[in-house]
Amino acid sequence: MESAEAGTSWSIEDYALIGDTRTAALVAPDGALDWMCIPHFDGEPLFGRLVGGPGAGTFVVGPVGTAPIVTRQYRPDTTTVETTWQTESGRLTLTEGMVATVTGQLLPPTLLVRRLIAHDGPVEAIVTFDPRLGEQRAQPRAERRHGALVCSWPRVAVALHSSPELHLEPGRRSPITVFPGCPITLAMMVAHREPLIHVGPERAWDALQADEQHWKAWCRDLVDLPYRDTVVRSLLTLELLTFSPSGAPVAAPTTSLPEEIGGIRNWDYRYAWPRDASIGIGAFLGAGKPREARRFIAWLLHASRLERPRLPVLLTLYGRHPRPEREWTEWPGYRASRPVRAGNEAAVQHQLDVYGWVLDAAWLLTDAGRRLYGDTWRAMRSFANEVARRWREPDAGIWEVRGAGHQHVHSKLMAWLALDRALRIAATRRTPAQDVRAWTDAREQLENEVRARGFDETRHTYTRAYGSSDVDAALLVLPQLGIEPPGSPRVRGTIDAIRDQLGAGGPLLYRYPPGRDGLPGLEGAFLPCSFWLAQALATTGRLDEAHEVFGALVARSSRLGLYAEEMDPATGAHLGNFPQGLTHAAAIQAALAVRDATAAERSPGATAL
Amino acid sequence: MDWSGWALFGLVATSALTVVMIAAQLGGLTRLDLPLMLGALVTPDPDKARVAGFVIHLGVGQAFALGYAATFALLGRATWWLGALLGLLHVAVALTVLVPLLPGVHPRMASTRAGPTSTALLEPPGLLGLNYGPETPAVTIAAHLVYGIALGVLLTAG
Repeated sequence: MESAEAGTSWSIEDYALIGDTRTAALVAPDGALDWMCIPHFDGEPLFGRLVGGPGAGTFVVGPVGTAPIVTRQYRPDTTTVETTWQTESGRLTLTEGMVATVTGQLLPPTLLVRRLIAHDGPVEAIVTFDPRLGEQRAQPRAERRHGALVCSWPRVAVALHSSPELHLEPGRRSPITVFPGCPITLAMMVAHREPLIHVGPERAWDALQADEQHWKAWCRDLVDLPYRDTVVRSLLTLELLTFSPSGAPVAAPTTSLPEEIGGIRNWDYRYAWPRDASIGIGAFLGAGKPREARRFIAWLLHASRLERPRLPVLLTLYGRHPRPEREWTEWPGYRASRPVRAGNEAAVQHQLDVYGWVLDAAWLLTDAGRRLYGDTWRAMRSFANEVARRWREPDAGIWEVRGAGHQHVHSKLMAWLALDRALRIAATRRTPAQDVRAWTDAREQLENEVRARGFDETRHTYTRAYGSSDVDAALLVLPQLGIEPPGSPRVRGTIDAIRDQLGAGGPLLYRYPPGRDGLPGLEGAFLPCSFWLAQALATTGRLDEAHEVFGALVARSSRLGLYAEEMDPATGAHLGNFPQGLTHAAAIQAALAVRDATAAERSPGATAL
Repeated sequence: MDWSGWALFGLVATSALTVVMIAAQLGGLTRLDLPLMLGALVTPDPDKARVAGFVIHLGVGQAFALGYAATFALLGRATWWLGALLGLLHVAVALTVLVPLLPGVHPRMASTRAGPTSTALLEPPGLLGLNYGPETPAVTIAAHLVYGIALGVLLTAG
């Protein structure tokens, strides 16, 4: 482990997520807050050491030197992280979080609270507060005001209050002593194009406590869930990754954490994908959180308004197009994984499968008895019409492979799903007859074509693309669609072929044969696919296997129950942006499938299939 | 002051402004939906909100037209370019003051400070309404120019 002043050497999965649903921070086990953007998830990094090297800023609060960790966990059913170290003179506990609920109170929109408590005896600790702003890693102008250290740049001011008052300087390592019974509380507040709101550490601590009560109350009705700890942590992670001002689901709070250490597969995930919103709708609905599900559909409708009937692949938090992808050439990247990118080129792709996810989410709401507003249904009809018009075109597919499009079988199946769900919703409300005819015809043609051209009769599996010999782990959604009965030989053959050809050891799967994406280098196993495998197994009645896969995945979560996008099959190290909303949504859906299959098994006369 | 002109032409100008905004929305230039935003003050159903919002919008438009008519009366003349100038002033206040302040009073509009307890579903418009699309300021300026010019021309005739 390197010192706090150097670039990070912590593994991705060592980091804890804290957040306020407007932005988020990642904290290393030594108390180094190494990633945080302001004022929002997609803003400029204030602490960027995670991918920006030692000059990109960090905020360390922890023991002097290396101290073994006794415990590190989220407080149950909250988003507050608690780390306890064993030092030579006693135990030291750091409790930290960000205040999410600030409306109706004179509180700053970004308020980070960190409290050190010593047990057993006085403990030597350090505080290093080194904020650097943006790609330029600009150093602040620092001064003391209102008993606080105030760091300012032209558009941004950051204040750090402490109780008892500490004389800190930006970038300087400040030793302190923490005495038992005398906690040291630090409160950091951010102002972006507005005046600073100074909040004393004690009031900030009280606000964090109030937030904890909110999260506990939110979790109270999450009962009768298999793998409850995993599901609750995943739901809370999705909540933290939902941008409250617009309802946008952020794919991950980071940019450029690599899919291969030292490689170039480093993407900016601080955006919202309609696909993720749709999967989130299913996850929240299934867990009994309809308000959160409705929030996602509202975001989807609003964000897609400008381009309707085309569904954009990804959008900014306020539904705009991301800026063109750029490389931050001066940033060294996580463990020399360059380039560090800002922006995402996938925004311009055509991905047919997105329509299937979105219309399926609308159907789930309808099926759950939630009436779609007329406005919502008009939008969904326009999406279905777009699918009926364009399903024959090649697309970039769910994996956003850059370059020329292909006839992806998964995309065709999801297009079928879009039309099927549109027809199901149409059966519940007044719909123009020509729409119904067009969708019915297109669904039939799609079904015939994908069965004829997308299935390999010799190997008994659906394939990655028409005429391809590869399989695609995205096809694990097949049992959920309804185009084939879940127990059919085609479904079973596809699941088994994927496990056989894409298996990466244990429950892990590659999303497609490694290296077959036109990019140099390789990548890890894709974690959402493993959860889709558990879901597929549960849905097809292979409950024991589903438990086996899910249990193995739980064992591979981070110490705090978080998942990245990918995992190195050899080492179990997490890879890619972290934590990843899609992985957590897939985990929830897999657990819900296990719950439903178990209930079906136990119900006399019911079947799981 | 031309009271009968105000009563009739205020409605005409507001309708023209609304037509420009809706056309821009349907053309994919902006997500700004004034009837929805105003109507969501009284109902969460978007379809009902648009009806209620249109009525509210006509009322608001009529109130603003009173200001235009009073200004014309004060200056002793009403011309298309004077209407356009007032339209520019109007839209400047709307985009930089009224629209950004809406989250503070709108029960169903989130603010940039919204947290997980927020039940608001409309996202905040932001400065100049830019959160509703990059063309929003241009569309809104055009709509208010139409509104001001219409009043300038029609109140001249009246």
